[in-house]
Amino acid sequence: MRQPSVIARRVAAASVSLVVAAGAAACGPKDNDAKGSGGDSTPHKGGTLTVLNSQPQTDFDPARLYTSGGGNVPSLVFRTLTTRNRADGAAGAKVVPDLATDTGRPSKNATVWTYTLKKGLTYEDGTPITSADIKYGIERSFAPELSGGAPYLRDWLTGAADYQGPYKDKKGLSAIETPDDRTIVFHLNKPEGEFPFLATQTQFAPVPRSKDTGTKYEEHPVSSGPYEVVKNENDGEHVLLKRNPHWSEATDDQRKAYPDTIDVRSGLDSSVIDQRLSASQGADAAAVTTDTNLGPAELAKVTGDKDLAARVGTGHFGYTNYIAFNPTVKPFDNPKVREAIAYAVDRSSVVNAAGGSALAEPATTFLPNQKSFGYTPYDPFPAGPSGNPAKARELLAQAGYKNGLTVTLTHSNAKDFATSPEIATALQDALKKAGITVRLQGLEDNDYRDTVHSVKTEPGFFLAGWGADWPSGGPFLAPIFDGRQIVKDGANFNASRLDDKSVNNEIDAINKLTDLDAAAKRWGALDKKIGGRALVVPLFHPVYKRLVGKDVRNVVISDWTGVLDISQVAVK
Amino acid sequence: MSEALVTVEAAGTGSTVPAASGARLFWRLRAQRAALVAAAVVALLVLIALAAPLLTAVEGQDPTTYHPSLIDSARGGVPVGSFGGIGADHWLGVEPQTGRDLFARLVYGARVSLGVALAATVIQVVVGVVVGVAAALGSQWVDQLLSRITDVIVAMPLMIMSLALLAIVPASFPRPVLVTLVIGLVAWGSIAKIVRAQTLSTKGLDYVSAARLSGWRTWQIARRELLPGLAAPVITYAALLVPMNISVESALSFLGVGVKPPTPSWGQMLTAADVWYQAAPQYLLLPAGALFVTVLSLTVLGDGVRTALDPRAASRLRVGTGRKDPAANARADVGQTAGSADVTKKKEASA
Repeated sequence: MRQPSVIARRVAAASVSLVVAAGAAACGPKDNDAKGSGGDSTPHKGGTLTVLNSQPQTDFDPARLYTSGGGNVPSLVFRTLTTRNRADGAAGAKVVPDLATDTGRPSKNATVWTYTLKKGLTYEDGTPITSADIKYGIERSFAPELSGGAPYLRDWLTGAADYQGPYKDKKGLSAIETPDDRTIVFHLNKPEGEFPFLATQTQFAPVPRSKDTGTKYEEHPVSSGPYEVVKNENDGEHVLLKRNPHWSEATDDQRKAYPDTIDVRSGLDSSVIDQRLSASQGADAAAVTTDTNLGPAELAKVTGDKDLAARVGTGHFGYTNYIAFNPTVKPFDNPKVREAIAYAVDRSSVVNAAGGSALAEPATTFLPNQKSFGYTPYDPFPAGPSGNPAKARELLAQAGYKNGLTVTLTHSNAKDFATSPEIATALQDALKKAGITVRLQGLEDNDYRDTVHSVKTEPGFFLAGWGADWPSGGPFLAPIFDGRQIVKDGANFNASRLDDKSVNNEIDAINKLTDLDAAAKRWGALDKKIGGRALVVPLFHPVYKRLVGKDVRNVVISDWTGVLDISQVAVK
Repeated sequence: MSEALVTVEAAGTGSTVPAASGARLFWRLRAQRAALVAAAVVALLVLIALAAPLLTAVEGQDPTTYHPSLIDSARGGVPVGSFGGIGADHWLGVEPQTGRDLFARLVYGARVSLGVALAATVIQVVVGVVVGVAAALGSQWVDQLLSRITDVIVAMPLMIMSLALLAIVPASFPRPVLVTLVIGLVAWGSIAKIVRAQTLSTKGLDYVSAARLSGWRTWQIARRELLPGLAAPVITYAALLVPMNISVESALSFLGVGVKPPTPSWGQMLTAADVWYQAAPQYLLLPAGALFVTVLSLTVLGDGVRTALDPRAASRLRVGTGRKDPAANARADVGQTAGSADVTKKKEASA
C-alpha cells in the first residue's frame, strides 16, 4: 500500500539544502552559533520572503498533501498534532509536539495512542481548535475526491480499510475517539511505535467542518499556523501568505515566523532559480527555494565565488541511491554474480558522476548515514573506494562466467544525477574492468518508473533510489524488504522480492517498540543482516546544496528534510 | 526540353572539357567558391573520422578512460586547470565529472555522426529510388499502393517515429546500426516522390518510347534509360539529406535514444554539457561547434551540388536571369563563380 517512491520524490523535491548567508550569520536559536561574519545577524520580524520554486504547490489541502514532517510551505499554514524539530542537523530528525502537549501516549503494545491539545489554540478567524476538527481532517483524507496523501492511515487505523470519507459516510471513523474537546484517541489494528512520526503529516491538521468546501477547500484552507492564504493562483503556481493574527507564539515553540509576507512563485526553470538567487537583485535578495538543489555545474561556478559560496546551505536528507537486482531474472538469481558486481563497483567514479564529493557521499549501507535511521556502518563486500575488479572476476569464475558476462543496466534519462545516464556510464566503465559488459537501457523518466516498479516488467539490474516518509529505519527498510509489501498489481518497491519470515517478523517486532532509540539500533542490525545478501548495492547518499538570497538569515537545515526550514527564515 | 551541354573553359588554360556528367558536376562546383571550401571542410572531417584511432594514438588517449585525478570532485567535478584542463596530454581538455579526453571523444564522435548520416542517406536513396521508379513504371495498382505508402512515410513526423522505434528495440541490438536503419527507413519519402515525378515525366519521352518499342524489358529501360536522368535530382537531394541526417542523429543522441555510451557521439556530449555552459564552456562549445561546422559545410556543399546540377541555376550562372540589375549580376557572377582572377566561360548548345 505504501507508495514511497512518490513520497521519496516529493520529499527530495522539497528537501532544500540550506543556505547560510554570509552576512546573515545563521544564529539560529538552536545550534548555529558562530556562523555570522559581521553585520547585524540577529533575525528580526518583518519583510517579505520570496520563494522561487520549479514545482507548483498543488492541491494545497491538508487532506491531499503528501509531506514529510508536515512539509515546508504547508507547515506554515497547517499545524499538526506533532511536528519535526526545527533544528539544524541530527537534532532536527526528532519528532516534537505541535498542537498536542506531547508526542503521544501509547498503550502498552502501541496500538492505542492518546493526545491532548494545548490550551488556547485558535484558527485564523479566532475560533477555537478542537479535537473533533482533527478527527474531521483525518476523515476527509479518506474521501476519494481528496486523494493524494500517504496510505498509512488507511493501513493502520482499525476498520478504516474501506472508509470513504465524511461526505459519503456520516458516521465517521470509529477508530478515532474524541472524549472531550482537547483529547483525541487513535485505535490501530497493529502496533506502530512510530505513530508520532505519522502525526506530523498534514492529514493531522484541524479542519473546521463548517468551513469545509470539499475540493474547493484548497483555495482557502483555514489556517491554524502562523500564516494564512491570501492568494492561491493556478493551483499553487503563485501562493501568497500573510501573517495570521490569531496565531500565538505562546502555543508554538517551533515556528519562528519572522517575515510578514511569504510569496511563493513556481513554474520556474531550475537554472533560472539558481541564477536569480545568485544575482540576488530586488526581491530576490530575500528569496529562497524549497525545491531546487545546486547541480554539479552550478556548484563549480558557485564555489569559485566567495560571496556565493558563503550563501550555500548544506543539508543531509536521508536518502540512498543504489543498484537494485531482480533475482528472478538470470543471471542475477546467482548471489555470486550480484556479489561480483558489488565488488566491481567504483564508488569514487559514481560519486563524481553524481556531482562529486560535495554532492554525494559513498554508501555501503542501505540505511542513510544518520543516527535516527539506525545507521550501523558495515560493508559486506569491501572493495575500497574504487572497486576490486580482481575479486569480482574471481566470483564470476566461481559462478561459471570465466570469460565474463554481458548484462543490461536500466536507468532513467532524467538529468537528476541520481538514476541518470552519468551514473550508469560510470558503472559501465567500472564493471568493464571486471569483465562485465554492460549494455545501457535508458528510459524516459516516467517510463523508467513504471517499468521498474511493476513486478511484470521489472528488469534484472537497474538504478534506484529511496527516501523515507520520516527519518526512521522502518519506512526505509519495510517497503523494500518486507515480503508482505510485494505489490502484484501496482507500484512495487520490494524489487528483490525478498519474502523472508525472519525479516518480516523482525520488522513486526521493531514496529512494536515505542522507544525510538532502541528501535533504531534494531533497524541498523536488520539492515546489516539483509546487506550480506547482495540484493542491492548501495552507491551513495546525496547531499543537498542550495543557494539563498543575500538578505536571508537564520538558515536552519535539519536532517529530517535536508533543506532550509521556511518557518525559521528571516529577511530583516 | 533542352539538355544543357556545357563545356567549361578552365581558368587561364583556355582548354575546353566535354560535359560528361561527373566532370560537369566537378567543374560547376569548382565555379562556386563557397562550395569548394565546404567540400574541403567535409573532406577534412571525413579524414578525421577515418583517422580517429590514429589521431588519438598520437595524442596518447582514448575516448572512454576515466581520469578521476583530472577533475575537482569537491567542486562538482569541474576539470582541474585552465580552459577545461587543456594541455599537452589533453589537447581539448577533459570532460567534467569523468575526466575523459575531449579530443578523443570529439573525433570518435565524428565517426558516429558522419557514419550514421552517410549510411542512412544511402538507405534513403536506395529505398526512395526503388519505390519511386517502381511506382512510376508499375501498374496503376502498384503506383497507388506505393504512392500511398510514400504519403504515409512523408506524413509521419520523423523525430517522433524515430523516438518510438528506438525505444522499443531491445538494448542488445547494435545501436549505431539501429539508428542508421531507423533514420534511413523513416525518411525516404521525399526522395521517392521526386523520383516518381521525374520518372513519370521522362518515361513519355521519345528515346524511352523507342527503347520500349525495340522490345526492352521494363527493368532494362529503367536501368539504361531512366536512371541516368535521375542522377541529377537524386544526387542533389541526397546531398541535402546528409546534413539533415546528422542533425537527426545528434538530436536522437541528445534525447538519449541514439547511440549508447560508451560510444561517444556529439549529441550525447551536447546533452551532458548543456548544464556546464558557464562552468566549463569548452565542453559545450566543442561538440556544438563540430556539429555546426559539419552541418553548415554539408549544407553549403549540397546547395552547391544543387546549383551545379540545376539547368536553370546553371543558366543563371551564365546570363543572370531572374536578377534585376544585370551589372550587379555580372559582378556577383564573377565573385560567385571564379573569384577575381579566374575567368570562366560556359557555352551552351541545344541538344
